Amino acid sequence: MKKECIAMLLAGGQGSRLYVLTGEMAKPAVPFGGKYRIIDFPLSNCTNSGIDTVGVLTQYRPLELNSYIGSGQPWDLDGSTGGVHILPPYQGSKGGTWYKGTANAIYQNIGFIDLYDPDYVVILSGDHIYKMDYSKMVARHKAAGAACTISVMEVPWSEASRFGIMAVDGDDMITEFAEKPKEPKSNLASMGIYVFSWKALRHYLTEDEANPNSENDFGKNVIPAMLNNGERMAAYRFEGYWKDVGTLESLWDANMDMLSPESGLDLLDETWPIYARSVNAPPAFLGSDSQVHHSAFNRGSILEGTVENSVLAPNVVVGKGARVSYSVLMPGTVVKPGAVVEYAILGENCSIGENCHVGGTPEETAPDPWGLTVLAPNCSLAEGKEVRPGIMLDRNGEEVSK
Amino acid sequence: MNGLHGIIFSYEKRNDLRELSEIRSAASIPFGGRYRAVDFALSNLVNAGCTDVGVVLHGRYQSMVDHLGTGKAWDLSRKRGGLRLLPPFNYQKDWGVMPFRGKVEALAGVRSYLDTIRQEYVAMMDGDLVVNLPLADVYENHIKSGADITVVCGNDSFATADGTYYEKDADGRITEVLYNLNRPRGYRGLEVYIVSTALLKELVDECTAKDQFSWRRDVLRAKKDTLNIRCYIWKGFAAQIRSVQEYYDRSMQLLDPAIRAELFCPERPIRAKGADKSSTYVSDNGRCVNSLVAEGCRIEGVVENSILFPGVVVEEGAVVRNCVLFKEDIVRRNAQLAYIIADKDVEVLENRTLMGHATYPIVLAKGSIV
Repeated sequence: MKKECIAMLLAGGQGSRLYVLTGEMAKPAVPFGGKYRIIDFPLSNCTNSGIDTVGVLTQYRPLELNSYIGSGQPWDLDGSTGGVHILPPYQGSKGGTWYKGTANAIYQNIGFIDLYDPDYVVILSGDHIYKMDYSKMVARHKAAGAACTISVMEVPWSEASRFGIMAVDGDDMITEFAEKPKEPKSNLASMGIYVFSWKALRHYLTEDEANPNSENDFGKNVIPAMLNNGERMAAYRFEGYWKDVGTLESLWDANMDMLSPESGLDLLDETWPIYARSVNAPPAFLGSDSQVHHSAFNRGSILEGTVENSVLAPNVVVGKGARVSYSVLMPGTVVKPGAVVEYAILGENCSIGENCHVGGTPEETAPDPWGLTVLAPNCSLAEGKEVRPGIMLDRNGEEVSK
Repeated sequence: MNGLHGIIFSYEKRNDLRELSEIRSAASIPFGGRYRAVDFALSNLVNAGCTDVGVVLHGRYQSMVDHLGTGKAWDLSRKRGGLRLLPPFNYQKDWGVMPFRGKVEALAGVRSYLDTIRQEYVAMMDGDLVVNLPLADVYENHIKSGADITVVCGNDSFATADGTYYEKDADGRITEVLYNLNRPRGYRGLEVYIVSTALLKELVDECTAKDQFSWRRDVLRAKKDTLNIRCYIWKGFAAQIRSVQEYYDRSMQLLDPAIRAELFCPERPIRAKGADKSSTYVSDNGRCVNSLVAEGCRIEGVVENSILFPGVVVEEGAVVRNCVLFKEDIVRRNAQLAYIIADKDVEVLENRTLMGHATYPIVLAKGSIV
């Protein structure tokens, strides 16, 4: 079945900088923004952009992700001629290997891509929160007659040295690429979203694989090799909200952004819906004494206490007299009466005992070093326990260092 | 447990639902913040292991057909069996132009469908019943008791429009079938029945031959002495949505945690279509208490003792008390609402005030602008 364009979604990374949150699941499966998981964003972008065939490359702890994606039906990716396909590493007659890098993951699935004989392949990663019309990027790629198009956005000059930076000419064609340059020549940062002409990519992937010194990575190897060879490389300027949620702080930030459409992340806007596999539960109930302010919540939740500046996933319980502020609560978390949760990320199905105190405000912590308090999924705290700011606990309630 | 087939009746009946039923049958009335009444019957059947469910439709069923789709939300989109939509198709002359006069006529209208039923037993339910029945248990009881027909009754004689009430002996056998009662007595029939497929077809054919159309009169009442008709008493919440008042009172009962715990018990989940909306947001100045709130709402004003369906917007300064607001309703700045049931897509403009009363909730028709 010939397709003009298919997408390959890199979802195999561990996301080690999310520490205990990704202890038992891959980063793209981490809950976000109340009712979503991170992978809902690229999957929904695909379906909204008219891409109906998506390969999801999985490797690290894929079970939760696999079961979440299922048939792909929530994203309309269960069509008869395409749909979403989970692609783990596999054995061949001469053995097989784990995915060695982003480029190698695609290389190992050349056979899958060839099934659809596409003209263009969009490479996406599973750790970004953004709404983007990939069809516009593909149009730019075609118009530029490029072998590769890289989506870029302007970042503040002061932060440019943290990104992969592109230097471009007057036509926005890429002239130079530098990974985390000390003295950036531009402030156009790569967003890790690529469109390739499949013929060219196939060639470079094969060449890259044959090079024993390569790390088989798009940013480090394939893109520089293409640039050095004089391939036409276009930049596609993206404007709008985009955030890499690869760290605990950025994950927390992006959740807070969701509460304020001014941030650019407007999830109530239905012209570009983000789809999710939703749980079956009755609407949320807000009790008579509840005080919920500047917060988002979801179905199945029962809120009897105070919730401020927080994002609550489905089936969250906040008991009477409890207070949750500036926190992100993942599905099924229970905060028992009288407990306080501040500046924290609580993983799925955490249970906070009565009168516990989890986390704290930066002001009250000063002059001690402050940080977000993070609890692994299924972590259960006994009554009256205190967890200081910046502490991270695993599922058994043991402290883990960052 | 695949011996049970489901039939849901969703045809127009005489009721007092005013504007709410102008555009839909009672079975597709939104209820409880994210459901349609028929979701309960469907979920009851699916939770009891039914894989095949027929929905008998007649009149104003566009909304119903739209809601049911392929039956995916209830896992009834299947290769074999699954959901069957049954608009009347056994027309004889003008027959079928008028609304069905009773369940037997409705079944006669889909008589050839009855022949395709693979299962030995049929559970029949009304689409306007909001309940979470342990139907598997009712079925098991039916088989054990050797009943010809099992009638499920509520444990009260709550007055519902056009209700059927039963009296039974100590043994559980039905001794009297009552309707058109001024003051209801006996056990309130929930219009849920279990009967063998063979007997059902026999009864439909016999009644049709005698030009009889009423299940309760021509079957239950007429045959209470010859057939073993037994009742199953359900002690929990069971609402029949047949008047605006009943709709309102029953909706407000959902604010009671005990009733929610029972109606939405996790062992028998009530399934509904998702709404692909974001989380609900309450702003800094917003206040929302003692309310049931679905997703995608934006609350900047005050909401008390109310039920909000997906996508409702309550702007700053607006006050919503004791209301049921359907999908995508907008209450503009400083508007005040009390005891209102607002159908989908209603917009209440700035500074407007509308008050009903607990004993006379006001219904705003779909798409109205106040």
